[in-house]
Amino acid sequence: MTDAIAISNAQLRFGETAALDGVSLTIPQGTCFGIVGESGSGKTTLMRAVLGLQKLDQGEIRILGKPLVHGRAALRERASFIQPIFQDPAASLSPRSRIRTLMNEVGTVLREPHAATHERLAVILGRLSLPPGVIDKYPHEISGGQARRVAIARALLMKPSILIADEPTAGLDVSVQGDLLNLLQDIRRSQNITLVVISHNLAIMRLIAENAVVMRAGNVIEGGEVGSLFGSPQEVYTRDLLAAWPSIRAVNTKG
Amino acid sequence: MSGFFATLKRIGSERDGWLGLAFTLAILVFALIGPLVGPDPNAIDIKARFAAPELAHLLGTDNLGRDLAARTSVGTRYALTLAVMIVVISSIIGSLIGIVAGIAGGWVDRAVTAVFDIVNAFPPLILAFALIALYGKGSATFVLLVTVVFIPQFGRMARARAQTLRNLSFIEAERMLAVHPVTIVVRHYLPNVAGPIIVLASMNLPVVIAFEASLSFLGFGVQPPNSSLGTLIKDGFVSINQSWWPTVAAALVLAIATLGATLLGEALRRVIDPKSTGAR
Repeated sequence: MTDAIAISNAQLRFGETAALDGVSLTIPQGTCFGIVGESGSGKTTLMRAVLGLQKLDQGEIRILGKPLVHGRAALRERASFIQPIFQDPAASLSPRSRIRTLMNEVGTVLREPHAATHERLAVILGRLSLPPGVIDKYPHEISGGQARRVAIARALLMKPSILIADEPTAGLDVSVQGDLLNLLQDIRRSQNITLVVISHNLAIMRLIAENAVVMRAGNVIEGGEVGSLFGSPQEVYTRDLLAAWPSIRAVNTKG
Repeated sequence: MSGFFATLKRIGSERDGWLGLAFTLAILVFALIGPLVGPDPNAIDIKARFAAPELAHLLGTDNLGRDLAARTSVGTRYALTLAVMIVVISSIIGSLIGIVAGIAGGWVDRAVTAVFDIVNAFPPLILAFALIALYGKGSATFVLLVTVVFIPQFGRMARARAQTLRNLSFIEAERMLAVHPVTIVVRHYLPNVAGPIIVLASMNLPVVIAFEASLSFLGFGVQPPNSSLGTLIKDGFVSINQSWWPTVAAALVLAIATLGATLLGEALRRVIDPKSTGAR
């Protein structure tokens, strides 16, 4: 089976810094794949390159076997394979459009009658436990958690086979984090979607991902099955990441 | 529409805004209703020439005995019509050019910015003289030429906003869904650029009114038989030794119109765009 995403020798420089320094990795179809690394390690840049939002200096990206090319026709085709869930989903909904308008746009792109779009949307909203009335609201009128699910619903409406989620749990409290990860996992299993999760949070990788890679300074330094990767890391950096849990020290303020 | 009234209410709650609103309303009433109820602005009555204000002629008469209140209100209406047309056309064209330049980047952006810089490099009045010398007088050409002079201000602001918006998640999300670029510009850029553009337009309105009056005063703007505030001041200025009423009446209306529009624009800016510190 062709890989969902195959990246070979991706290189990209921003001035003096190498944001991507020869990254190669393959993501098999139907799996949940994690990309881990600290801020500035190149995870988000890699995702933007895969989405076609960022041109590479060198290297090749294949999505479902097809080389990524820029241009509108290619973008239109790619949009039906691969969809992002951005880091701040509330900011990924256009602030002055009703959610209904945003959903209709997807139908227009797919050249589908609005009635058909809304039929599919009703099913998706139900799955994401969003009230049907949500579509008549503006993005600022719904809660952050709802906005996140609306952004997911919009991506799913496009019927993608690959979803890329950048820090999907950022800014959520722990109980909601679990719900969201379960939801993503459910969607992936039931619709056979390849899910790529980008995060600095190793705990969520252990929960959701089957395979993962660790990135540092624009390079993949280690990769493999999650259990063994985080169970017995070979690289010092991975061990440091695992050990780097924040701790709070009590400070005596009397005196 | 409730947003519109809420904005009006907030403008009215400030002293400057209240004054601006009152002046602007007074000028609007004067310009819109005056010509309907007043005497014929072109009726000549030589015997009554240079009359001081009285009940029959509220602002007196000019050198041909024509009623100045009627002439001024017609002139105000004409000046306001021109100013609103110029501001609306230049803000729409400027916004679209600016948004396209901001999105496209690269050579398109550099070319547009260069043209804006060239237009802005000339003092507006001098540029308008040059354009009128090239293309001749007349109301239609006048509107077009003054529009050209004011486009860069709107273009620059729209371009700066578009550059910020371009990298925001919601624009990228639209692009990733392969939504048509025209839809993205119209539905997602324009509404988010509109706020500051409306503020800039309202602050430019008095500038355009004064600009039009200056050009007309110098004889480059509105041509007879039409009259605007600028031509009224000029006509009165010619015979200022016989009577100072014509000049003062038109100048007073011009002062109230620009002051009102300026205060209103400032108040509107504070309400819509409280973070900015002013258009210039």
